[in-house]
Amino acid sequence: MSELQDLENKSLYIIREAYAEFKKPAVLWSTGKDSTAALWLCRKAFLGEIPFPVIHIDTGYKFKQMYKFRDAIAAEWGLDLIVAENEEARKAGVGPQTGKFECCTQLKTQALMQCLGENGFDALILAIRRDEHGIRAKERYFSPRDEDFRWNYKDQPLEMWDQYQGITEDKTHTRVHPILHWRELDVWEYVKQEGIPINPMYFARDGKRYRSLGCEPCTSTIDSDAKTIDEIVEELRTTKIAERSGRAQDKERSFTMQKLRALGYM
Amino acid sequence: MNVNVVIIGHVDHGKSTLIGRLLYDSESVTEGRVEEIQKLAEEYKKRFEFAYFIDSFDDELKEERTIDTTGVMFKGQKNLYSITDVPGHKEFIKNMLTGASHADVAVLVVAADEGIQEQTGRHAFLINMLGIKQLLVVVNKMDIVDYKQEVFQAIKSGVSKLLASLGYSNIEFIPASAMEGDNIYKPSPRMKWYGGPTLIQILDEVEVSKELRPLRFVIQDTYTVDSERVVVGRVESGTLRRGDEVIFQPSGVRGEIRKIKVFQGELERAEQGDSIGIVLDREVKRGDVCGLVEAPPVPTEEFLGEAVLLENKLRRGDTLELRCGTRRVCCEIKEIREKINSETGEIVERQPAEIGENEAATILFATEPLVVEKFSEIPELGRFILVRDRNIGAGVVLETGI
Repeated sequence: MSELQDLENKSLYIIREAYAEFKKPAVLWSTGKDSTAALWLCRKAFLGEIPFPVIHIDTGYKFKQMYKFRDAIAAEWGLDLIVAENEEARKAGVGPQTGKFECCTQLKTQALMQCLGENGFDALILAIRRDEHGIRAKERYFSPRDEDFRWNYKDQPLEMWDQYQGITEDKTHTRVHPILHWRELDVWEYVKQEGIPINPMYFARDGKRYRSLGCEPCTSTIDSDAKTIDEIVEELRTTKIAERSGRAQDKERSFTMQKLRALGYM
Repeated sequence: MNVNVVIIGHVDHGKSTLIGRLLYDSESVTEGRVEEIQKLAEEYKKRFEFAYFIDSFDDELKEERTIDTTGVMFKGQKNLYSITDVPGHKEFIKNMLTGASHADVAVLVVAADEGIQEQTGRHAFLINMLGIKQLLVVVNKMDIVDYKQEVFQAIKSGVSKLLASLGYSNIEFIPASAMEGDNIYKPSPRMKWYGGPTLIQILDEVEVSKELRPLRFVIQDTYTVDSERVVVGRVESGTLRRGDEVIFQPSGVRGEIRKIKVFQGELERAEQGDSIGIVLDREVKRGDVCGLVEAPPVPTEEFLGEAVLLENKLRRGDTLELRCGTRRVCCEIKEIREKINSETGEIVERQPAEIGENEAATILFATEPLVVEKFSEIPELGRFILVRDRNIGAGVVLETGI
């Protein structure tokens, strides 16, 4: 069995367990490569249509190409798309200029919290990976959250042999991480193998490309000549640059990511 | 090949440092990360440590100990490794088991200046209970004992004895210093008396083999796809073929595999590990286990298990939930046969009325009908967890059909 097949088999198992365990799941989709691969895995898990909603958190600061890509794929795959935004905060002028920590918390975490409140989802499928960030390397496949979204990273559940923690009395929703065990390189090789559609912003133009996609003001390009998936795979085999080096919220100060995640950030 | 490695051992014997060293010497550390860690070390008024590559909680740096398990991936010469770091402190055994449960190989780290300590024995005991047969020992911090061969030999003989009592023999021992880089990724010029392989050389020789075993297909759910009923699940062991005559337990339903379905296609056969769908001539449900009629799964209502409890107490006569595969049943603690010292594996008490946190025991479970297998025969269906709202314990099946 190939390594990618191993990874996929485990992801399908996790997605099916989540669907059997929870009453009202949903999957988060940023339109980036990881969450698009996760949507693809959901389609494979259910042998066709995804039987639950797909949430896109719209900060209003995303790249134009991301919206275009989102709407095209949503139509092609027949997604039940929910666009979640924190309108109030946006009207009040919250943005990158008012502080990155505040901006991420208000426009992403709060927007998601409102969406959960309105729809009553008890599980959110998220495409985070262990190798993206030290703090994500600590995550469980099923990670319970309380009503304030807090991640109690000091007391995480026992998770052995694909036996995941269900909803406990003191928790209100669970984050499900079906591609936690994948590396960045695996995602690209899988995208290639499966022919998964991908936002063209990942491919180099004029010597620059995006390696990780976020909001326009806080995401920068890397130097790269990789114009195809094969060239990206080749680049990743040799690079020493961190994947999220172009993402401002990871770097502002030590443990920003831990603090954001403890408050419910993805 | 994908190889899952777990690094175990007592607190402060250098597990995180060893992984940091592996990442650093194999050039798997991203640009700027070394500078970032130097900055962090200054901020926390600490000296630069390789452990900081993986200890990423604020509190972990402050307290200088690993709290939760971490998974990192890197490529050796031959194998692709998922290395799992686990906490070495007793209060975090739950996190240790979470990290260790999927390992193919365990590396036991013992500090040369301290030798065997409480978690050295307990981790070795738990690794053995988890059925991890490939184990090797790194005698770390050799720099502190001036790289002396006598110190290494003394620790080797003590640890060999401990491991032999658990059933491990012919274990490889490596004298090393993760801090200084001796015998982890590069051979040590300071221990010429050793002359054996480095840690990475031994790991690169590891092979993970799958044994031939009877078919067990575990059912997760039933979906309707294009007005066809598709039963989804995973082949836990053996091979499933189109046309196979099968039986599902504990429901007792017999049927024929009409189709094996995957997204946008069909298969003739599916192997161990495959997540698939099947189309049958009968209705079955989540929790059932499917096998061939010739080698069927047998439902049981009583079995003997060895379990470790991580939270709460477990008393004779208690009822709680037990999960094996996708089946969830109510079970009763019919008898606690032997309480086991999880540091040494010795029996400390027969027929105790209860066991407490971090204690292990052989237990007779009475359950609603379910399929379990002896852990030594089909491990995927020979392990279970115990649930009381939270996942509180885990165990393996020693005997069925008692």
